[in-house]
Parts: sequence; C-alpha cells; structure tokens
Amino acid sequence: MTGARLRIFLPPIALLGVLLLLPAFGIQPNAVRLLFVTFVWMTASIAWNLLGGFAGQVSFGFAVFYGVGAYAAAILIDGGRLNPYLALVAAGMTAAIASVLIGLPTFRLRGPYFAIATIGVSETVRVVATNLEFTGGASGYRITEPRPFNQAEHYYTALIVAALAFAVSLFISRHKFGLGLIAINQDEDAAADTGVNPFVYKLKAHAVAAFLTGVAGGVFARYAAFIHPNGVFGFPISVQILLMPVIGGLGTVWGPVIGGVVIGVIEEEIVAYFPQVHLLIYGLLLIVIVLFEPGGILGAIRRLQRWVRRIRDRQAGKRTADARSKKPDEVLWGAGSGPGR
Amino acid sequence: MLEVRNLTKFFGGLAAVRDVSFEVRRGQIFGFIGPNGAGKTTLFNMIAGTYKPTSGQVLSCGRNITGYPSFRLVHEGIARTHQVVRPFRAMTVLDNVRVGAHFGRQGGDHKSAADRAMDALREVGLHHLTDSSAHVLSVGNQKKLEVARALATDPELLLCDEICGGLTRAETDAMLDLLRQIRDRGTTIMYVEHDVRAITAVCDRILVLNYGKKLSEGTPNEIQLDPAVIEAYLGAAPKGWNGKEVSEGTPEKVQNDPADIETYPGASAPRAKTGTDDE
Ligand SMILES: Nc1ncnc2c1ncn2[C@@H]1O[C@H](COP(=O)(O)OP(=O)(O)OP(=O)(O)O)[C@@H](O)[C@H]1O
Ligand SMILES: [Mg+2]
Repeated sequence: MTGARLRIFLPPIALLGVLLLLPAFGIQPNAVRLLFVTFVWMTASIAWNLLGGFAGQVSFGFAVFYGVGAYAAAILIDGGRLNPYLALVAAGMTAAIASVLIGLPTFRLRGPYFAIATIGVSETVRVVATNLEFTGGASGYRITEPRPFNQAEHYYTALIVAALAFAVSLFISRHKFGLGLIAINQDEDAAADTGVNPFVYKLKAHAVAAFLTGVAGGVFARYAAFIHPNGVFGFPISVQILLMPVIGGLGTVWGPVIGGVVIGVIEEEIVAYFPQVHLLIYGLLLIVIVLFEPGGILGAIRRLQRWVRRIRDRQAGKRTADARSKKPDEVLWGAGSGPGR
Repeated sequence: MLEVRNLTKFFGGLAAVRDVSFEVRRGQIFGFIGPNGAGKTTLFNMIAGTYKPTSGQVLSCGRNITGYPSFRLVHEGIARTHQVVRPFRAMTVLDNVRVGAHFGRQGGDHKSAADRAMDALREVGLHHLTDSSAHVLSVGNQKKLEVARALATDPELLLCDEICGGLTRAETDAMLDLLRQIRDRGTTIMYVEHDVRAITAVCDRILVLNYGKKLSEGTPNEIQLDPAVIEAYLGAAPKGWNGKEVSEGTPEKVQNDPADIETYPGASAPRAKTGTDDE
C-alpha cells in the first residue's frame, strides 16, 4: 500500500523539488521564460482535463476563463492597486462565477451540442470584450506594477499555480468527486440512476476548471504586462487549451502535464522562428492522435511498454498476461499497467 | 410502501402506459409481465425518474414523488437496473459498484463506501472479478453488475428490469435465489421478466400489462387462472406460429412443456451466452 502511494506521490514531489531549485543554478532567462509559459499552459491544460477528460464534457470555450482571469487580474492590479496575489485569487473566482453563468444553460445540452454552444458563448464574450470601455476595448490593456519586473517571481508564481492545479487534479482523481465525473463521462443517465447529480457535478467541475484557468490567465497577464481581447479571448486559445490534454492523454492525471510541455515548447521555440507553422503542427498532431492513438502520448508510451514487455516475455518463454484488468493507477498514466512493471 | 395512481405515459399519440394503478407493500417481490411493448420498462422509467409521467402519481410511503429526477429518487431509496445493461464500461467492476456506494442513500467517505461496494459484489457473486473492466464481462455477469450497482446505493425499493434475460436456466435460478435473499433482508423488489416460470416462482404478487393497460393483478395462482390473462398472454402459447396446437393443459403444465418453450417467444428457453468471462 505504501509502495503504491510512493509511486503516486513521489514523482510529482521530486519534480516540483527540482523545478523549485532550478533558478538557483542560474539558468538562462530564455529557459526561465520557456518554463514559465509551459507552466501557464499546463495549468489550463490540467484544468480543462477535469471537465473534458474526467467528465467528458468537451468545451471550446476556455478562452473565456483565461481572458476573464487575465482582465480581472489586470484591472485589479493596475487600476485597483490590489496585492497581485490577491488579484490572482480574485481572477480565478471571477472566472469561476463566469463558468456557472455559462454552465447553467449549456449543461442542459449534451455531447456535440454542448461543444458547439461553448463556441458561441466564447465568441460572444470576445466580441463584447472588444467593445467594452473599461477594458480598453480592442486596443488592449496595459498593466503597470509599482514593483520592478522580477522574472524569478513570475517563474515561481507560475510553478506554484501549476503544482496546485496538479494537486487538485490528483486529489479529484482519487476521490468521490472524480469517480462521479468519470461515471458521467461513461454514461450520464446510468450515473444519474446510481445517485450522481450530473448537472451539479458538471457545474462544479466547470467551476474548479474555470478557477484554475482564470488564475493562469492572470499569471500570464501580469507577466506580459499587456493584454488585448483578440489575444486572451481568442478562439486559438480555446483550441490550444483543449489540444494539450488530447495530445498528452485525455482523462489521465499526467497526460495534460505532458501536453502542456509539448504546447509550451512549440509556442515558445517554434512560433518565434516560424510563425504559423505551429498551426500545421497542431493539425498534424491531432490527425495522428485521432487516427492512431486516442490515448495521446501517454497511450503511445503504454503501447510501447506493452510491446517491449511482450517481446521480453516471449524471449523468456513466458505467456503474456492479458492486460484486460485496470490497475488503480491507470487514471494517472493511462490504460495498461503501472510504469516500470 | 409504493403506490402508483393512474400513471399514464404518452409518446406522441402512443399510450405506452395508460391509467395503471397498484400498490406495492413492504417486503414483497412484486412482478410485472406482459408481451413485448406492453409498457413495463416505461412504467419503471416513470417510477425511477427517467421519464416524467404524462399524468398520474407515484407515492412513496404516502409522499408524492412524481417526476423526481432519478438521482434524487436514489437518495429516497429507489434504485433500478437496466433491461439493456449500462455498465460504466471503462471502469473496473469494483469502481462501477463504488459509484453506487458513494452516491447512494448512505453516501459517505472512501473506506466505508468501498466496503459497502465489496459487500454488494459478494452478495451477487462478482467479488472474484473486482478488477476486470466492466465491458469484458459476460452478459450474465453484466446483469449481476447492474444488480450490485443498484444494491450498493442501499435501496428500500429495487426495480429489476429483465435481469434474467439471456441467462441459462441454472443462472436464472441463482438470480431468483438472489432476489429472494435481497427481499428477505428487507428490500422490497419490483421485478419485470418475460419468463413466466421465473416470475411465478419468485413473486408474491403479479401485475399483467397489455398494450399499456393493467389487465390483471393478483397472486401468481390467481393470475394463472385469470381467463383474461390466459386469453391475452398465456393463451397464445398453446398455438404455434403455424396455428397448430402444440400442447394443452394447465398453465403450469403448459409453461413447462419444452415444445411451448420453443414456440412461445420470450419463454424460458435458455439462450446462447455471449461474451466471455474473465475468470
Ligand atoms: N422513448 C420512447 N419513445 C417513443 N416510444 C417509446 C419510448 N420508449 C418506449 N416506447 C414505446 O412504448 C411502448 C412500450 O415500451 P416498453 O419498452 O415500455 O415495453 P416493455 O413492456 O418493456 O417491452 P419489452 O418486453 O420488449 O421490454 C412500445 O410501443 C415502445 O415502442
Ligand atoms: Mg422492457
């Protein structure tokens, strides 16, 4: 039992430890920036996966929460002179409130109808934000902080937020809440017949996801010091947030983390040198995943592991055990048996 | 404990259930029979909250619970199984049942809910398959999983819709023993089945539905002797599809005649098992 716990909790804690110590070893500002961006994306990725991966409710509207969080943080810090960390919490809460307002009508819809509705809501919000006075309209919003810019502070903020998102995701996957979400994902009516209130559960997952995404938007706004509606509320943001868990491994704890790293690297390293090429890469990645490996990168790794094990077992003359049964840590790593076993 | 008054459900112009009333007493196994499309599942769907009735009332211990959503009825102590099994396919057998334990009438924390899930699995005899994915189970075991998941919600009233369809005779008998056992430890049961032998063997009281209407109600003996029932339901059995008489006798004799079992659709002839067990 403790061995299983160790396998679950040790890797993320070790990883967090390394990332906390990293700046002390004097890494390049460019690398810090890459990691910062990756943490911000990863947070949104983990958040989206709570609703889209666990509960199976595919939303194309997470730019709303990212944008609302970015603007709420920006206005509170710049105009309201609020402590930036309080402002980030407020940004998350504003996004969570927005998620309830959006969820109340849209969660009456199912499957593709829900997905389409979120596109409509998201575009509406973008157009409204472009025309609002107090947000600066289409020309954007500039954030000036009294304190001087400190890259390490931003790095740690983003890291802690991502770690928090991961902890929330891991907690949910191991408790009643996650079980209810997965039941809804599998069969919403059967879940209701078993005592789950699907509507309320979806609203809750939506709110938690929106909170985290809103905080991520706020963290980014503070760093960028300038935001505009077509950036933070743009449809490409929604698509990228959705792509990360899909690329990494939908409905798992580690999948959205891996997807966040992939998108972070693509955004920072490739977009800078080859603008627009990233769209082609996303398209290709998506086609490959949909056609060949619905489990994403984690799914591919698991497949590879099984393949290697089968060859090894065959050489050893053993009969391969059927991998039908689900091990408890499947939700961490995707289908198959535990890592390194 | 459950009273149904003039319950009616229209799908467009079609009355799937029309003006049906009855009362289920605590500790009973209350059976429902009727030909395909008679409205049995629709009746269950209204009682369990899947459909809202067009008119009529459902009362639980005198309280009006008509039109409650299904999850709320689970918390009121009314759970159901599905005629066409609906397991959470990608979950393990244990996790399927844990959903019931966590979200049922007792709810509760992790450990005790997991224990209750194991109890339910043991009761239906699936405890050796806890780690299997639900979708690799045989039809028979998926039916048991339906029962276990509903049982884990700790119901006072359990609605079982054709839990023996597709089972062999021996499996059916085991399932009937399970129903008796569940009843004997205090859960009231409403039970739909096509298999007249199974229904008469296990039920304290039976209601016969035909074209959405209540045709008859009584003890198994009364039902079998009711001319209207023999005419509409059992009466179809002695004649084969070609119109020739296959056999004749008391309902009891006719039901057990292999020739009839073969001819009469939905009777207790053992059907082929599909799927494989992961044992
Ligand atoms: N959702 C629905 N929409 C339209 N018609 C329906 C719906 N559900 C059931 N019906 C119709 O209502 C009637 C009763 O169906 P129901 O499923 O209740 O019968 P049943 O007695 O359970 O039959 P079976 O023995 O085949 O399970 C049928 O004519 C069926 O076609
Ligand atoms: Mg039916």
